[in-house]
Amino acid sequence: MAGNKGRGRAAYTFNIEAVGFSRGEKLPDVVLKPPPMFPDTHYKPVPLKAGEGEDYMLALKQELRETMKRMPYYIERPEEKQDIERYSKRYMKAYKEEWIPDWRRLPREMMPRKKCKKAGPKSEKAKDTSKGVSLTNTADVLKKIEELEKRGDGEKSDEENEEKEGGKEKSKEGDEEDDDDAVEQEEYDEEEQEEENDYINSYFEDGDDFGAESDDNMDEATY
Amino acid sequence: MTQAEIKLCSLLLQEHFGEIVEKIGVHLIRTGSQPLRVIAHDTGTSLDQVKKALCVLIQHNLVIYQVHKRGVVEYEAQCSRVLRMLRYPRYIYTAKTLYSDTGELIVEELLLNGKMTMSAVVKKVADRLTETMEDGKTMDYAEVSNTFMRLADTHFVQRCPWVPATENSDPGPLPPAPILVISEKDMYLVPKLSLIGKGKRRRSSDEDATGEPKAKRTKHSTDNKEPIPDDGIYWQANLDRFHQHFRDQAIVSAVANRMDQTSSEIVRTMLRMSEITTPSAAPFTQPLSSNEIFRSLPVGYNISKQVLDQYLTLLADDPLEFVGKSGDSGGGMYVINLHKALGSLATATLESVVQERFGSRCARIFRLVLQKKHLEQKQVEDLAMIPAKEAKDMLYKMLSGNFISLQEIPKTPDHAPSRTFYLYTVNILSAARMLLHRCYKSIANLIERRQFETKENKRLLEKSQRVEAIIASMQATGAEEAQLQEIEEMITAPERQQLETLKRNVNKLDASEIQVDETIFLLESYIESTMKRQ
Repeated sequence: MAGNKGRGRAAYTFNIEAVGFSRGEKLPDVVLKPPPMFPDTHYKPVPLKAGEGEDYMLALKQELRETMKRMPYYIERPEEKQDIERYSKRYMKAYKEEWIPDWRRLPREMMPRKKCKKAGPKSEKAKDTSKGVSLTNTADVLKKIEELEKRGDGEKSDEENEEKEGGKEKSKEGDEEDDDDAVEQEEYDEEEQEEENDYINSYFEDGDDFGAESDDNMDEATY
Repeated sequence: MTQAEIKLCSLLLQEHFGEIVEKIGVHLIRTGSQPLRVIAHDTGTSLDQVKKALCVLIQHNLVIYQVHKRGVVEYEAQCSRVLRMLRYPRYIYTAKTLYSDTGELIVEELLLNGKMTMSAVVKKVADRLTETMEDGKTMDYAEVSNTFMRLADTHFVQRCPWVPATENSDPGPLPPAPILVISEKDMYLVPKLSLIGKGKRRRSSDEDATGEPKAKRTKHSTDNKEPIPDDGIYWQANLDRFHQHFRDQAIVSAVANRMDQTSSEIVRTMLRMSEITTPSAAPFTQPLSSNEIFRSLPVGYNISKQVLDQYLTLLADDPLEFVGKSGDSGGGMYVINLHKALGSLATATLESVVQERFGSRCARIFRLVLQKKHLEQKQVEDLAMIPAKEAKDMLYKMLSGNFISLQEIPKTPDHAPSRTFYLYTVNILSAARMLLHRCYKSIANLIERRQFETKENKRLLEKSQRVEAIIASMQATGAEEAQLQEIEEMITAPERQQLETLKRNVNKLDASEIQVDETIFLLESYIESTMKRQ
């Protein structure tokens, strides 16, 4: 196009004077790589402020760091179960104060809820019916099994139906509970789970972790 | 939130609350407000753990919750509040200078626990003070209560919003989360408690009659069901008030550096008088007459009225414009220009950074461009009296460091480069933001380096701690000098030297963190004050 003064000759589109280079001067090299990760510092940094206040704040900072680790707000990482449980571990555990938040100030969904098969529903009536249902359910199932043994496989479909119904009721309760976020912590009603024998269910499951939770009662001498 | 801020928040949360809280906190900062189940799903942690972590974060005012439609509660993290955790030592030290040890411990307890009731604070602080006193002396609750009330009167501690008590116990469905409210006048109202008692000294186990170990005893003390008189009224530290105090301190020391002690005292008096009348975000204080200032000067200062007037005129005429004259009644009405003062402080910080990073000639060019607002390349060389090549080099260095920016002024509508003016200018707000970002990065680097140093020498540190514990127990049971010598020699001389080096390095890194935080405070105050004016 017009204005091509001299083919092939480099011409700047702007006034090179403005940027500070005079015409014909050697331009600095083009930078082909990112700047170095740790560039040289020609000027060393100024020394830190030193004084009584600064020393005190330094000591405070270090103390605070240590104190925070011991507070109940510091949640430790859940330890993985080790292959061999060492005896001494149980007694060397540092005691940490338990902290209970003020539940009145927190949303209701924050309260920890024990997950239990038979959940405590909202109203008394539902609780009664559920209890009734559960008891009849287990009693029913046992009865059914006895009958089945006598009668054979023909009645299996009935039993399955009964179980399905029982299951549906249970799941309905579960949904109710999830939707409404019931506040009460359900009591683990041991009698509901009783299997017509004399043993309490929570006593000896597999023999592991027995007494591990009741650490604070272990200090009394055992005879 | 920028990446640097998120990284710093993550490091702070991890150091203070552990990894689980850190994971939840950082996730909330990154993604904004979310309900409980989404958090659990996205972070892959169990619901139970998420609940615990959120309880801790809410307790420390780092996360707030809001009820949305259909009863969903959403949680939002406050990134700026997390960054305040860096400043805790400064808050506590300030409380110490103003209200001595009692005040210091009150503020420390409030900061460590997030929120507490007044009775709990008083009890804990009295116990702690009693420990440090000589045998036989105890700290009275009344004294601690007094200090607490003074802190509340000067607004250094404030009440937390609480659940309004409903008159009728409505049997209808409870809301999914309580709505917390607080009114302005209630914020500093101290409940009328009659706390009678003295601090208890924690006895060592062999003095205790029953010989119960600590674990069981503490459990008993939390089990006693005394009704707490001020149940539900929680207090927290009022960080804004502390920031106001720091800002005043910075202005006073700036005036002292620039002029002399007397003028700084005058400015301090003016600021003290306007503490209560001026809201913290105002651009300038309420006008004060020269007569009022004269009356309120501290007792030790006996300068005459004329001298005071001269000083005030000098201050008002100063190009930095810390003090301005707003009228002539009452012997002259003077205000302190808070916004301008913060601007000057931020500018001084920038200048100092340029000087330390690029040299004093660069600093000269920087100050020149600051003063003249817009300069061309040629004008810079002429005015600064620096040869062209060097001036060019320095300008480009500062330009690539984002301290200086280019402003294009086209002569023709087609913006042709040959017909455009390129002017160098300093945009203080954006330079301040850039420097602030850099500060966050620096602190994150400092913390990481400190953690690295500690981890490298973990074995050695543990060994030295064990040796100290052995020595302490042996001294308690009365051991001979020779035995103590032997135990001390368990740590060899090169190990001792290594420990010394480690301690020195960690101290240096910690001190650096505290001082970078001071710069952060200045820059943040300036940016906040500027944004409020727009």
